[in-house]
Amino acid sequence: MKFIGLILKSARRSKRRTLLTVISVAIAVFLFAALRAVLDGFNAGAEGSSSTRIVTQRSTSLIFSMPTSHAEQIRNTPGVQDLTWASWFGGIYKDPRNFFAQFAIEPESYLRIYPEILLTPDERKAFLDDRTGCIVGDGLAKVYGFKIGDKITLKVGIPTYGRQDFDFNVRGIYRSGGGSVDNQSMWFHWKYADERSVVKGQAGWYVMQIANPDHAAQVSAAIDQKFANSPYETKTETERAFQSSFVSMFGNLNLLLGSIGIAVVITTLFVAGNTMAMSVRERTTEIAVMRTLGFPSSTIFLLIAGEGLMMAILGGVVGAGLARAIVNPEFLNAGTFIPAVGVNGANMITGLGLSVLIGLLAGLIPATMASRLKIVDALRRAA
Amino acid sequence: MALIDLRDVTKSYRRDQIEIPVLDGVTITVDGGDFLGLMGPSGSGKSTLLNLLAGIDRPTRGSIRIGEVEISRLSERALAGWRARHIGFIFQLYNLIPVLTAFENVELPLLLTSLSKKQRRDHVMTALGIVGLGDREKHYPRQLSGGQEQRVAIARAIVTDPTLLLADEPTGDLDAKSAGEVLTLLQRLNQEFKKTIVMVTHDPHAAERAARLLHLEKGTLVEQVKVGA
Ligand SMILES: Nc1ncnc2c1ncn2[C@@H]1O[C@H](COP(=O)(O)OP(=O)(O)OP(=O)(O)O)[C@@H](O)[C@H]1O
Ligand SMILES: [Mg+2]
Repeated sequence: MKFIGLILKSARRSKRRTLLTVISVAIAVFLFAALRAVLDGFNAGAEGSSSTRIVTQRSTSLIFSMPTSHAEQIRNTPGVQDLTWASWFGGIYKDPRNFFAQFAIEPESYLRIYPEILLTPDERKAFLDDRTGCIVGDGLAKVYGFKIGDKITLKVGIPTYGRQDFDFNVRGIYRSGGGSVDNQSMWFHWKYADERSVVKGQAGWYVMQIANPDHAAQVSAAIDQKFANSPYETKTETERAFQSSFVSMFGNLNLLLGSIGIAVVITTLFVAGNTMAMSVRERTTEIAVMRTLGFPSSTIFLLIAGEGLMMAILGGVVGAGLARAIVNPEFLNAGTFIPAVGVNGANMITGLGLSVLIGLLAGLIPATMASRLKIVDALRRAA
Repeated sequence: MALIDLRDVTKSYRRDQIEIPVLDGVTITVDGGDFLGLMGPSGSGKSTLLNLLAGIDRPTRGSIRIGEVEISRLSERALAGWRARHIGFIFQLYNLIPVLTAFENVELPLLLTSLSKKQRRDHVMTALGIVGLGDREKHYPRQLSGGQEQRVAIARAIVTDPTLLLADEPTGDLDAKSAGEVLTLLQRLNQEFKKTIVMVTHDPHAAERAARLLHLEKGTLVEQVKVGA
């Protein structure tokens, strides 16, 4: 279209301003796409979760534990086929910044209920046989360079586990065989942690294999019924629900990341809108001249709006492209708690859609301003 | 039938509830092919009158017929289309678009037509040829002298072959030599190409080139001096 050239030339008028607008949109889209990818990473855990596993925790919160004596009572609940338990350890590897998840698990039953934790038979046996053995995810091993046979020392992070450092032998490097198991965690024998615990016989949560996924609600209710009105009231839910509550233990990430995204977008909208309004004000005479030549106000509107849209889309392409290049597992290679975060095509398209939205909204007021201009007043002001 | 028929046109502006009369019952007729000069002291309403003829302003009262069209009755949108077809406007300060080359500036009004790229190019080069700047098509306004800029502006005004050329102090910002060139050009357009021109000017030398002169004083026509063409 013959007007595209006109729009491009207008955008070149103030190169610095155009560049700033493009960059601000690019940053917004970059952040947005990256945040979407992080959220997707969290949600993937919930989505990949099994429908035949349910999880019991203290009704108050995940960080409070329950006696392991619950195990028998839960096991006897009709519909429950198998049971295991785990606790959050929260140890510190050398430096608190080296954050990764560590879980104390009842090893045999845990590996039985989570077949997604993929180990070779040798690794599995070595792990089960060593009371101070541990297994680490291949993602985690890559980040810290853990190898089979290595010793890992964790400082105690939660006082219930005493004061003494814990030494572990790496007995296996597991791979993840499904979304509910990430490859960034460390698992070790619950007994080892229990020996040193101030309060003995405590489990963070129980995981049950149930016979029929359709009965998840009834079985959950039956379990919670058993502990109602006891000092250890429980909350049992599907693994999917549990996964998201696990995420919310670290603050409501969805909400937090969502509001950051919205704040960034709104800021960008103002920046871009203001820049465009400025450039329209500077171009008042030119617009009046074009109107005198016979350009209808609707065409002027489209030219200005088109300019905003073009800059925004350019920014969007740059931002989405950068997000794709930078936020991907190979490039980052520093995975911590989140399994393999990467910007995918959908994140990029959402980001681009956002840039279109920014472009349309930011151009709206300046374009209206330009199209409503009174020709003679604008010409008189310039003379 | 006269080309322009301005009948009892009144224009006033409102400022803080007070009506400021600018034009007070002006009646003018201009025949096709005429070259009319419009003189008068500053603030007498010359530009206002020209803007009304150009259809970029509307009269408070009175009628303006140009050709077959009563332009005071056209809608905004229809008026824009009418301007594109019938009016070539030349400003005192040239008003070229700084980011466009001479060629692109002259091409601008043609973007509103259905002409092909090739046809547009032919028209633009013809117009630039007429104003003697065929070799400056790639120059930007800042690379041209004031006189050259005004000639490019004239090329932009004639490129659509409009019914009427309107010029508001076209030499007001030029030195004597460039002003002379621009006036000679306007005269040629009038005599060779039979363009109807209405030119506002302060400059007696410029006024001499017009075929007919009108004086505006405080919003009314006071005398009509016929200068030998
Ligand atoms: N939009 C407006 N609002 C108020 N007054 C206006 C407006 N436009 C023009 N005027 C007034 O109308 C009068 C005539 O203005 P106009 O520009 O037509 O004069 P002019 O003859 O072209 O003067 P000059 O030779 O200085 O260009 C002036 O007094 C001016 O202040
Ligand atoms: Mg004037």
